[in-house]
Amino acid sequence: MLRKTRIAALCAILLTPLAISGPAGNRTQSAAQPAPSYTYRGTVHAVNASTGTLDLITGVGMSLRLVHLSAGPAVHTSAPTAGLRMADVKPGDIVTVECHRTSAGLVVDRIEKLEAPAR
Amino acid sequence: MTRPRVAAALFLLLAVGCKKPVKPGDPLPGLTAEQLARFNRGKEVFDSVFTPHTGLGPLFNSTACGECHEDPVAGGTGDEVEVHATAFKGGMCDPLVQEGGPVIQLHTTPALKAALGIDREPFPPSANARASRTTPVVFARGLLDLVPDSAILAYADSEDRNHDGVHGRPNRSLDGRIGRFGRKAFVPTLAEFNAGAFVAEMGITNPAQPTEENIGGKPIPPGVDSTADPEIRQEELDLTDDFVRFLADPTPTKLTRDGRRGRDLFSKIGCTSCHFPTLRSGASPIAALNRREFFAYTDLLLHDMGPDLEDICLGLAGPADFRTEPLLGLRDIQHFLHDGRAATLDQAIELHGGEGAGARDRFKALPTADRAAVVAFLKSL
Repeated sequence: MLRKTRIAALCAILLTPLAISGPAGNRTQSAAQPAPSYTYRGTVHAVNASTGTLDLITGVGMSLRLVHLSAGPAVHTSAPTAGLRMADVKPGDIVTVECHRTSAGLVVDRIEKLEAPAR
Repeated sequence: MTRPRVAAALFLLLAVGCKKPVKPGDPLPGLTAEQLARFNRGKEVFDSVFTPHTGLGPLFNSTACGECHEDPVAGGTGDEVEVHATAFKGGMCDPLVQEGGPVIQLHTTPALKAALGIDREPFPPSANARASRTTPVVFARGLLDLVPDSAILAYADSEDRNHDGVHGRPNRSLDGRIGRFGRKAFVPTLAEFNAGAFVAEMGITNPAQPTEENIGGKPIPPGVDSTADPEIRQEELDLTDDFVRFLADPTPTKLTRDGRRGRDLFSKIGCTSCHFPTLRSGASPIAALNRREFFAYTDLLLHDMGPDLEDICLGLAGPADFRTEPLLGLRDIQHFLHDGRAATLDQAIELHGGEGAGARDRFKALPTADRAAVVAFLKSL
């Protein structure tokens, strides 16, 4: 009897993780997971505060690329955790931008302006 | 030139005089067998010729690294001259990324030509400056990569506090790091320069830059570039990087009495205010690169070279600002300055303006024999 009880307990311990995980398609957790975030660091090329858009120049060596970003609500309202508002940056500023991808493109969560390098 | 700099240069001369000379294209002395194997495998990638089938283009300047950097050996100079363009407006530099970027590719693949009817990248309509760029040698780039930021900043004198008319200042990359590579010192690291060159020069995407450049601001037409990105693997990128990183600084050839006098004059007339004879690399796990004093003849800083040499801007570098060119491999170079406009070293010195004008004028004032001695010295590098 004791042996059967031990086996049942061991099976319960081993199978519990499988029972609570389930197939991915059934998980409700996935909807609540935040979208993957990206961090870009580069020079502001253009900013349009009224439309809430920002073009950032990034690149590798002499191979440069333009990254088009839209301001998320946090950046519009400049919440305490959001760093700067879109209106606070101007072309030529060196910034770090945290953003996430949506169906409409990259949306900025936070902008931080880096100190202008001394010449 | 200050006494410590003279002492360092003399010490280095004695040191290299006692060792087997390193020829252009040789690997760094002291590499391990494994590093030497990577150097050799990297050279194969450096020399490999890309085709549209293996990722070339659709815009490109060359089909291989070694097609341009070929004279007298892989990693050397070449006769190709490429075109760059930017716009400088209101003190701000626009690298024209929205119109294809600052490197104007001079060739297209047959598929792109068939689709758009172009045989080169369209010149950006917003550009207000155009530059020609010769192929530089890439010797000792691994050592230059390791020169600490603190050393570069220590050489800077943007306010010209010593009143010598020379006020070097560092360039910065798009994200604010100190630049070292490229004629305007816009690129901070060798790895980035190499990865960027694969795309900008050959249209070969790679893990560091996995997307192709647009065609004058427009997307690549469907079906024109069917090779999946990235078009080379990280391993091929790393091997190429190791080949360039491990290319040695060639030992200067033995100087004649005239050459030695020229070396002294080079310092005396003020050339070494920018062309610092020696630099020291920082710490590296690669013993052959670790804390090595080497002949570089550069301060890696930007200097205003005067209106006659003005062309494009890049980062904080205005049209007249150029990084002091490292004087390496001069013995094999046929055309001088960033765009090859000088056919001789005499002409190259005479074309220095701006912050280089003082040294230029002192060079021009030298007797003919002394000028020849300076040139003899330079040809030893």
